[in-house]
Amino acid sequence: VSHPLPPAPGKSTMEIALKIWRFDGRTGERALKTYEVEAPDWATLLDVLDIIKDRVDGTLSYRKSCRMMICGSCGMRMDGGAVLACKTRMWDIAQSGHVPVISAMGNLPIVKDLVVDMTPFWDKMRAVQPYLQPGYQIPPDGKEHRISQERMNVVHKESLCINCGCCVSECNSMEADPDFLGPQALAKGWRFVGDPREGHSVERLEDLNSEHGIWDCTRCYFCQERCPKGVDPRDAIAKLGAESIEQGIDRDMGAKHAKWFVKSAETTGWLRETELVPKTQGIVSSIKQMKFAMRLAKHGKVPLPIPPHVAENVNQARALRDLVEHQGRQGALGIVQGERALARLEHHTEGGSHQGQGSRVQADVTPGAEPTRKETDRGEPTDDAAGRPA
Amino acid sequence: MSAASTDGQAGLRRVAYYKGCLASLSAKELDISTRALAPRVGLELDELEAVTCCGAGDIHEAEPDYYLHLNARILANAEAAKVDTLMTVCNVCTLNLRQANHILQNDEALRERVNDNLAAVGVPRYGGGIEVRHFLWLIAEGEGYELLKQTAHRGLKGLRVAPFYGCQILRPSKLLGFEDPDRPWSLEAIIEACGGEAVDYPAKIKCCGFPIIQAREETALGELIQPIEQAMEAGADAMVTPCPLCHLSLDAWQQKLEASTGRRFDMPILHLSQLIGVAAGFEESELRFKRHVVSVEPVIDKLQA
Repeated sequence: VSHPLPPAPGKSTMEIALKIWRFDGRTGERALKTYEVEAPDWATLLDVLDIIKDRVDGTLSYRKSCRMMICGSCGMRMDGGAVLACKTRMWDIAQSGHVPVISAMGNLPIVKDLVVDMTPFWDKMRAVQPYLQPGYQIPPDGKEHRISQERMNVVHKESLCINCGCCVSECNSMEADPDFLGPQALAKGWRFVGDPREGHSVERLEDLNSEHGIWDCTRCYFCQERCPKGVDPRDAIAKLGAESIEQGIDRDMGAKHAKWFVKSAETTGWLRETELVPKTQGIVSSIKQMKFAMRLAKHGKVPLPIPPHVAENVNQARALRDLVEHQGRQGALGIVQGERALARLEHHTEGGSHQGQGSRVQADVTPGAEPTRKETDRGEPTDDAAGRPA
Repeated sequence: MSAASTDGQAGLRRVAYYKGCLASLSAKELDISTRALAPRVGLELDELEAVTCCGAGDIHEAEPDYYLHLNARILANAEAAKVDTLMTVCNVCTLNLRQANHILQNDEALRERVNDNLAAVGVPRYGGGIEVRHFLWLIAEGEGYELLKQTAHRGLKGLRVAPFYGCQILRPSKLLGFEDPDRPWSLEAIIEACGGEAVDYPAKIKCCGFPIIQAREETALGELIQPIEQAMEAGADAMVTPCPLCHLSLDAWQQKLEASTGRRFDMPILHLSQLIGVAAGFEESELRFKRHVVSVEPVIDKLQA
């Protein structure tokens, strides 16, 4: 995907069209409306919305404040994917002739047009107590509490979060379980668990190991893809998991599941697949799964654990674990150590997804473009509105 | 055993083949159909034997330093096989290996530490010369794609196929990077090259729920229903996926969805290599549809009608 630079600011203008899902929370009315305006070549999505509101339709509602990717107010969806409107340059899209569909973020109730009710988002953030807890060493009088850069690097990425909600918008787990704490709150959780000044890290990990916490993440990586600030929330969740297990907090089935992969790797090399269910869920739950397992077994989906499928030279894998166990990179540090290399990857840039190789089959519904919501939302969507746009 | 020796054709491109856990165990049909297909699309598979599980994201979350070392060992073995490409047939293996590979290639000090550990247990050092590519990527463009079109001579007679990508072959795109993660095209290109009709539906890029299907079954089923339901509503005769974990979820857990919703889906789920195999006229011995929980017979019947 190429990104030709737009002309120098102020040199030219562009014709740009948007389709915007309008929604009225009081009446439940919704409509997909097309707007065409002329905009400066440097305009962002937010600039274009400002022009529409100023010159075409003053009733269009959206949130904004800083216009420079700091306040986190203007999260919304473009073609089904959450973006910060102020970060999204429109030149490439205008040149391609594509008319993007703009809608409110997902997983949050819509109030009006592009404005969502952030209450559930703030509730989850509040639940992780986003402030340092006492218990750390207080420096003697007149001394500062000095911490090395290296120790703060552990929470560097998570500290970049601006609470915009783009990660939450497409969280697949939260769609299925609205109570899931979600990528933003969990990344915030790590920002405090991993802070060298924090006094209650272990208690925090206990809390985050609850039913709707760490192990509810389905690893869809939408949060990582959408975050406009490079927080990488899925990696933050993995850090919480690794640190929990390192601290011996492993009662959750998700933690047991993860630990069984370690056990498999160092004993046979390959996953001991058939034993995974009892090791994760316990014997009693596994017996309840017998009927299901029998049907799977008929099709060879329950491979016999005996004789085990053992990899060649598996003793090397075992020796490696013994070796690395004592090298000071246990727990979340094992993930943090890779961040320097990962930071060399250019972060996914906005606008790029609309050129080059697109889907060969045109979607008749753009993923997530239509403002359909669950029953907990304001304004019940009707069946036809939940389906295809007219 | 190399595929070249059974095929007897010269000019095949040799790649290291990392089968992963599921293709060795409950998804043996994936391994069997992949081996049968590879030489016909120009590939000689050199299977790595002295390797382990990539950790499936679970070791990355349980003991991430160990995850890095296990994957370094896999990459080092591939490099020792004197190839430049390690081929995967699973989304999760692809992401785990590509992530570790990127870290090792871009942080010399860390690679040195990992290499010292590898050397200490008798594993060759990893120089960073391997690229990890999914089978899908090797046949969606270039020479592999041209050969695929020749191989798929029997066609799919307009069979309506719903492509299901799953997550970890698309996201995070900065680590995967083969195609636009929101508008992928590779599976559609292959379905069409095989003479099938690709049906489109929004959930084709979403999660099948598999990573938490044991720890959070209800949440996982809430995810799983979306692609199956949407593919059915779009009129698909079958779904195809490049990932054996997605396959297990879509195929084996479909009965749990039926039990919890009281509906019938009967949606046949094909591995990518099986779909192409059908278009290439493979026999059951190379396809192993009997290993599926949801019957594939309606698909075969439709093609024979």
